[in-house]
Amino acid sequence: MIRRNSVPESQNEMSDSQSGLQQWHSQLLSRRRFLLGLAGGSVAALFPAVCLPLSSKPATIDEWAILGQVQQHLLPDEADSPGAVKIHALDYLRFVVQDPWVDADERQFIVQGSHWLEDLAHSREQTSFLLLDQARREQLLQQIADSSAGENWLSTLLLYLMEALLTDPAYGGNPAGTGWQWLQHTPGYPRPPADKIYPKLNV
Amino acid sequence: MNNEYDVCVIGSGAGGGPVAWTLARAGHSVLVLEKGPWFHTQDFYKDELACCRRSVYTPELKNEQHVLEDENEDGSWTATPTSESGRDFWNGNCVGGSSNFMSGFFHRLKPVDFHQLSEFGPLAGSNRVDWPIDYEDLEPYYDKVEKIIGVSGKFSQHSNAEPRSSADFPFPPTQEHAISGWIDDACAQLDYHALQVPRAILSRPHNKRRSCEYSGYCGSYGCASNAKGSSRAALLNDAVNTGHCHIQPHSKVDKLISNAKGQVTAARYFDRQGEVHQVRAKIFVVACQAIESSRLLLNSSGPRCPQGLANNHGQVGRNLLFSAGGSGSGDFAYQDLSAEKQQQLKVVGPFVNRALDDWYVIHDPAFRQQAHKGGIVEFLFQHPNPTGKANSVKWNSDGKLRWGLPLKRQLESWFTTDRTLNFEVFNDWQPNDNCFVTLDPKVKDQWGTPVARVRTGIHPFDLQVGDYLAEKGKAVLKQMGAVRIRGGASSSPPPNLVAGGCRFGSDPKTSVLNADCRAHDVDNLYVTDASFMPTGGAVPYTWTIYANAFRVADIISARMTG
Ligand SMILES: Cc1cc2nc3c(=O)[nH]c(=O)nc-3n(C[C@H](O)[C@H](O)[C@H](O)COP(=O)(O)OP(=O)(O)OC[C@H]3O[C@@H](n4cnc5c(N)ncnc54)[C@H](O)[C@@H]3O)c2cc1C
Ligand code: SF4
Repeated sequence: MIRRNSVPESQNEMSDSQSGLQQWHSQLLSRRRFLLGLAGGSVAALFPAVCLPLSSKPATIDEWAILGQVQQHLLPDEADSPGAVKIHALDYLRFVVQDPWVDADERQFIVQGSHWLEDLAHSREQTSFLLLDQARREQLLQQIADSSAGENWLSTLLLYLMEALLTDPAYGGNPAGTGWQWLQHTPGYPRPPADKIYPKLNV
Repeated sequence: MNNEYDVCVIGSGAGGGPVAWTLARAGHSVLVLEKGPWFHTQDFYKDELACCRRSVYTPELKNEQHVLEDENEDGSWTATPTSESGRDFWNGNCVGGSSNFMSGFFHRLKPVDFHQLSEFGPLAGSNRVDWPIDYEDLEPYYDKVEKIIGVSGKFSQHSNAEPRSSADFPFPPTQEHAISGWIDDACAQLDYHALQVPRAILSRPHNKRRSCEYSGYCGSYGCASNAKGSSRAALLNDAVNTGHCHIQPHSKVDKLISNAKGQVTAARYFDRQGEVHQVRAKIFVVACQAIESSRLLLNSSGPRCPQGLANNHGQVGRNLLFSAGGSGSGDFAYQDLSAEKQQQLKVVGPFVNRALDDWYVIHDPAFRQQAHKGGIVEFLFQHPNPTGKANSVKWNSDGKLRWGLPLKRQLESWFTTDRTLNFEVFNDWQPNDNCFVTLDPKVKDQWGTPVARVRTGIHPFDLQVGDYLAEKGKAVLKQMGAVRIRGGASSSPPPNLVAGGCRFGSDPKTSVLNADCRAHDVDNLYVTDASFMPTGGAVPYTWTIYANAFRVADIISARMTG
């Protein structure tokens, strides 16, 4: 790559074309504005599109159990190809959520989304997301994806799933390069040792 | 730290390095102020998160940003801070600058680039002019770059070849991928001339730098072998070893202070803790990369320059340039290839090193009656970074998210069934009145200094040229048997390929610098990054930046030794 795009990656293959880029710019803009707008907002305020009557949802929920189950739904493990469990996606997400290099609003958004999903599960299905079967989980996630907030949340989870799948094992995902092997990807050398991952670079 | 230097260089990238190297070797005391940290060779790994997904080598946008003006359909302009849009205009802010992360595709300008106005005449809406120097003035320095920075290649005479003083390159070509031969065959069939591209990458060890290790991950990554000809690896280490050059990272210059005579007396900078310091020098050299150099001058008003340093004629920031052009690609499906060719195609590491410059000047009545300035088409593999590629797979063709098993099957298909060959087109970005740098009236950086506001208007002619050249790239891919061929010109400015803003020329009313790259109205101020270029030419800039900075360094050195 010689010409660098000022956006990190494109939504589709045709991003290099004029219209693709413009479309992507405007999407990126709305996503950033969206994230900036939610700083400090309550969960209900975050997702007005599905603001539902108050449910019987318990006051405390297991955010990480929900995030883990959503990850497994988005990238399921199969006998011959790795999914969220095998690539240690949840551990990786914990690293992301604690990483000051990642936008603070985005980190907050990831965790808050689990509350919203749980709200929705209680309102629509009168039970926790954790107790739903696959088909009903799929239904709920499809419903979320119809709102821009929900689509943003799922898209963010998918981004960090792809990072867990394909970035260096030194960051906690992709154990022993299992994601690289699956997609026949050749990593570059030299690879970062544990004491040279970016949070540890001392310059 | 000493507080009085012969020369203070601001910015340590491709524009600053040659000045520090030359003057330190000549025994002058040199201070290099660099706003970013100092990563050393042993800090660079093939780490996609560090290189490309987190702001490790560039500032966080909430601390330091740009404001970009985009054109609306009705011709008005909307300004958006990059902290809102996420469009990152930083390229590499650390010792060595973005030259650490370049891909090292190196091209000289051609003689015609130095007098585009005389050659092609005026073009409505374009501010093109002739340069105040000729190719012959720069040639010895292009040659010097080959030897000092290290350029690998093999010269072959062809109709568009630039005149050169050395018979061949000092380093043989870097290792090449089998697909280069496929490109050669396709070009021969089309009667195009495939040019072997020189690279600022060592093909054998030189001056304590190792040879390239062909990891396949080069552009955007820092180099762990020092084979890549960054300012840091090729120049600054040597400059420091002379004992006359001090490099000071984490030093962000916000203002050049000038006196009542109009001379710069000191550079004011913030250190890592946010403390303000001043340092004095006889001569100041600005090389912050084009946009930031204009910004620094505009932020440096003084008693003799109320509108900003060197800006008494309102020229600073005007006629900013990017590399115009576009890109395209085609896929080679493994199932369509013999087992042998599949094996060849899957090899990762060696370079493609092929470009076309047959249309550097377009003589094609179907395009224009008269000859017109064209450009080059450069072939390269799709960047190997997997995460960005995988992340784009989550969107289906209707713009809806995909997940679960459909996502997994799509990932498998994207990663394992073909390999993509890209091309990038480079042509001139006409200097025009809608492409410039000013100071944003509201947005400031973390030190309270106004940030650069950049309007990035492109001349429509440049898109026509870009499309013309992209068709040539597509024809080659088609001849090679690629599928899903796509591409065309783009108006999106590549933030890493930027020049202009302080053009050099002979008239102080229409230029900022004289032919020596010294400010017309400030006797001890030089600008040595790509800011000086009044027209950009149709190739990436870095070889020219290095060459010109070596040229100006010799001028400064001669001046200092009287
Ligand atoms: C991914 C990538 C690929 C590229 N590939 C190619 C290629 O193949 N071929 C090619 O010719 N070019 C390529 N380039 C472009 C090349 O890197 C630049 O042309 C070149 O580095 C520009 O030199 P410069 O001195 O203007 O800026 P830089 O090299 O960026 O150096 C400027 C330095 O100034 C510092 N600075 C800025 N403001 C201040 C301040 N106020 N105070 C102190 N310091 C400051 C910055 O932090 C930076 O370190 C590529 C660039 C990138 C990012
Ligand atoms: S070793 Fe070679 S391929 Fe790797 S970064 Fe350095 S120059 Fe590029």
